[in-house]
Amino acid sequence: MFIDWQDKLKRIGNRVVLFDIPIAMHCHHYNINLHKMLEDSLGLEGVRLIYNAAEESNHTAFKIMLEEYPLIRSDKSKLEFAASIYQHCGLGVINFQDVGPNGGRIISPSSHHVTGWLAKHGLRKTPGCHFTRGWIAGALEAIYDLPVGYFEVREMNCKMMRDPVCEFDVRLKGGRHGD
Amino acid sequence: MAIDSLKIMRAIMEGSKIRDEKGIIPLFGVYLSLYFTSYYNIVSFDFLSRMGKRRAEEAEKLLIGAAQECGYSTFHGIRQSWEWEELVQPMLETVDDQIEGFLAVATAFGWGGEIEVIDLIPGNRLHFRVHESYESAGYLKRLGIAEVGKCYMLRGVAAAFMDLLYGDAYPDGCFTFSAIEPFCRAKGDTFCEFIAEKSST
Repeated sequence: MFIDWQDKLKRIGNRVVLFDIPIAMHCHHYNINLHKMLEDSLGLEGVRLIYNAAEESNHTAFKIMLEEYPLIRSDKSKLEFAASIYQHCGLGVINFQDVGPNGGRIISPSSHHVTGWLAKHGLRKTPGCHFTRGWIAGALEAIYDLPVGYFEVREMNCKMMRDPVCEFDVRLKGGRHGD
Repeated sequence: MAIDSLKIMRAIMEGSKIRDEKGIIPLFGVYLSLYFTSYYNIVSFDFLSRMGKRRAEEAEKLLIGAAQECGYSTFHGIRQSWEWEELVQPMLETVDDQIEGFLAVATAFGWGGEIEVIDLIPGNRLHFRVHESYESAGYLKRLGIAEVGKCYMLRGVAAAFMDLLYGDAYPDGCFTFSAIEPFCRAKGDTFCEFIAEKSST
């Protein structure tokens, strides 16, 4: 699968776009400030807001991107494409080798949000990759042609807590793996 | 020498295509991410909604503050970076020129399309116009016409620029200035404008 990133990430007039979808470049200061503001002000509701925003925006974007590449047919290719997008957006590295339409496990050995959180606030006592959880949910729901909210992604291990990797458990909403 | 905004924008577009082996984009002294504006708009406007009318003022303050603190740290990092030293520093003739450099970076980051300085009174006042703020576009698309300006990120950043140039030395100058948004596309205006002046408190 060849993707011409030079062509896909570009300026159209005054907008910066990825696959013609408007993007903004933000640094870890802003992303982590928003994260902390939401957790501090709204608690679990704020955590959910980050998750839902990442899920919704990613679901919409992946639908558009996958439509543009109809030759990416197999689930495996689509997952590789998703990992490539994650890395290309500077969000980190994510490995999808053990996941399917019924859920599974996903590993991320590095991420923008982990690096940013640790740089600004140091270690956490609870998992903190709410953005990535929502990002994963939205990407998988688009890849398997499922509606937003179909999956629930939990973080079992988190580098923000000194775990060696971030590990995510994907389940059908309601608690069980689909198989 | 005038600030060559196009040169700065090109450098950022090229630099934003470089990732390290961890999938991180280290550029201009910060870790950069590229993500859909819809995410940031959902976060901001759903946050306002969840905070409710009773906490609306607090919510707006928090959004602006998050951006101002970010803008202060980010653009401090940017102007300490080797990229700034090599690319932008040679174009600067006065301290005030840095504002043009900052705004070129903001445009390159996809924050607002064309950005033009209306007025700069060194040490006192910065007034600039933004033609395509993603926040105003997002608000209109998601919620329709607003009663007040909705570009909280840009309000914070406008004040941060002045904090960096005319506030106490880093890191003590943040929140010396604050900004208002008298015109906003989300209210039906044809552009957004920001005026940063010394904070009253």
